[in-house]
Amino acid sequence: MLNMIKVELTKLRKRKMTWILLVVLAAFFCIMVFAAYGITESPPEHMPEESVGELRSLLQFPDATGLIFSTARQIGTLLMIILVASAVGNEYGWGTIRQVLIRRGNRYKYIIAKLVAFIIAAAIGLVISLIIGFVLVSITSNLLGSINWDFITSSYVGEFFRMFGWTLFSLLPYILLAFFFAFLGRSALAGIGGGLGLYFIESIVVVILSNAGGWLAKIPHYLIGPNADVLVPSIEMQGGPFASSGDAPSTLWAAMAVLIYSVVLLGISLWMFKKRDITA
Amino acid sequence: MSASNGIIVKTKNLTKHFGHIVAVDDLSIEVHKGEAFGFLGPNGSGKSTTMGMILGLIAPTSGSAEVFGLEAQHNLPSILPRVGAVMETPGLYPYLSGRDNLKVFARLSDHISDKRIDEVLDLVEMSSRAKDKFSNYSMGMKQRLAIACALLHNPELIIMDEPTNGLDPAGMKEIRELIIELSKQGKTIFLNSHLLHEVEQVCERVAIIKKGKIVVQGLVKELVKAGDVLQIKVNEPDKAMAILGGQKWISSVNKEGDYILLGVKADKAVDVSALLAKDGIFAAEIKAKENSLEKFFLEQTEEEANA
Repeated sequence: MLNMIKVELTKLRKRKMTWILLVVLAAFFCIMVFAAYGITESPPEHMPEESVGELRSLLQFPDATGLIFSTARQIGTLLMIILVASAVGNEYGWGTIRQVLIRRGNRYKYIIAKLVAFIIAAAIGLVISLIIGFVLVSITSNLLGSINWDFITSSYVGEFFRMFGWTLFSLLPYILLAFFFAFLGRSALAGIGGGLGLYFIESIVVVILSNAGGWLAKIPHYLIGPNADVLVPSIEMQGGPFASSGDAPSTLWAAMAVLIYSVVLLGISLWMFKKRDITA
Repeated sequence: MSASNGIIVKTKNLTKHFGHIVAVDDLSIEVHKGEAFGFLGPNGSGKSTTMGMILGLIAPTSGSAEVFGLEAQHNLPSILPRVGAVMETPGLYPYLSGRDNLKVFARLSDHISDKRIDEVLDLVEMSSRAKDKFSNYSMGMKQRLAIACALLHNPELIIMDEPTNGLDPAGMKEIRELIIELSKQGKTIFLNSHLLHEVEQVCERVAIIKKGKIVVQGLVKELVKAGDVLQIKVNEPDKAMAILGGQKWISSVNKEGDYILLGVKADKAVDVSALLAKDGIFAAEIKAKENSLEKFFLEQTEEEANA
């Protein structure tokens, strides 16, 4: 099993796409942080002074930590869907899935090894995101004043690791969503289309339902995105549906929902992969 | 774990339906230890599906496939380490080099050293291009690397699905020679092909499949054995044809190139020779005309189609 995980990690490491996605991640962070800094330096005329102040605060420690985690989760979700779907789907396209399975007959082990490799890749990606984010915010902190490292206390470190854990955990259902669609469609395109499609459709549906009120407003509690938002609050949430209604699910509810989605998606993927013929 | 009675692969009433399409129909074959077995059939006849079921990639609708005496579908972890397979399309990672591809697959098997990787690269004559990316290889090189990959763990049974597909004549010859060499080393070869000439040169025994059903199986030399046609080469063919045409015990006399083909059993060769000698005609060559596997295959499949 360990060898299979190592093989999956080697395949990810040697792929050009992994490195391209990492560059996209870094570029996104740079654009976001420096664009925000640009706004604080010359804010639009209609922007209230209070909002400019909030933005300044977000570009400095310790408030910037939340921004870094939330950005890492949001861009990380999109990039992981692309990485996972292409890594799984291309195995069908290249015919390598047959070559692997005729060496190791156990299909469950193959899927688990792939999943573990993706989780490790997501963790590494998250660490890289945090490093990039901290470097960039250090720069903006300096530009906006000076860095004061006094915020690094034992409780901050504890909170930091808790946020790291929740961010990684909230990526899991999306990794498995891409996994599921790539296996279902036996292609990278199906995985990317299905994963990203559902991600964006869900975002739109959540806004519509939350504004509808009544029992309809409760439906987002059963979807992936709003629950992931509870675990790692996104910055948009301050003005988002849950923030305005004060009706966000509890952390326990959110964690259970994310877990249930992950287990169900993994279970269906395993069952489907075990049952289906490998003909291509 | 040893194969029962020297049988390495055995399928019993193996059947596979894809919806309403019957891809493999009640197929029973046996492949013996150490032999090169040819599995012949036109495109779409069910060869690759049969191979998929033997390798556990495709679940049979009914019947069973046994490999090394073990039921294939439920014993893959015991069976697969002893099997190497080459697919019709070489399925390797395009972004990895030839050597890295082999390293990846070596890691999936137990105890394969870097030295072994070098050995198989040498065997398929790919050492000089081992550092190049797989995507930059020609079709022949890809196929050779796929064979190297199948041989990494020194398997006892090698299953090949159209291994010369897309190769030029030189590439086909190289692969053919490699298969013969592997067979000489005592490996059991299961060769899927629609190229009859290739199978005829490599395999001792064949099964012919059409529309998922076995049409015939047996030893190649038995299937292409001498028919009731005698082939002779003489110094005066026209005169010889006139003489032989007047004999009631010769059913037909035809000319084919430098040869005269006589419709008579092979054991009449002495009588034919004596008859011609009386008129001063001497046979430079006289032998029973052999069928080719191709001719036999076409006869069988046409008969089946007519029936």
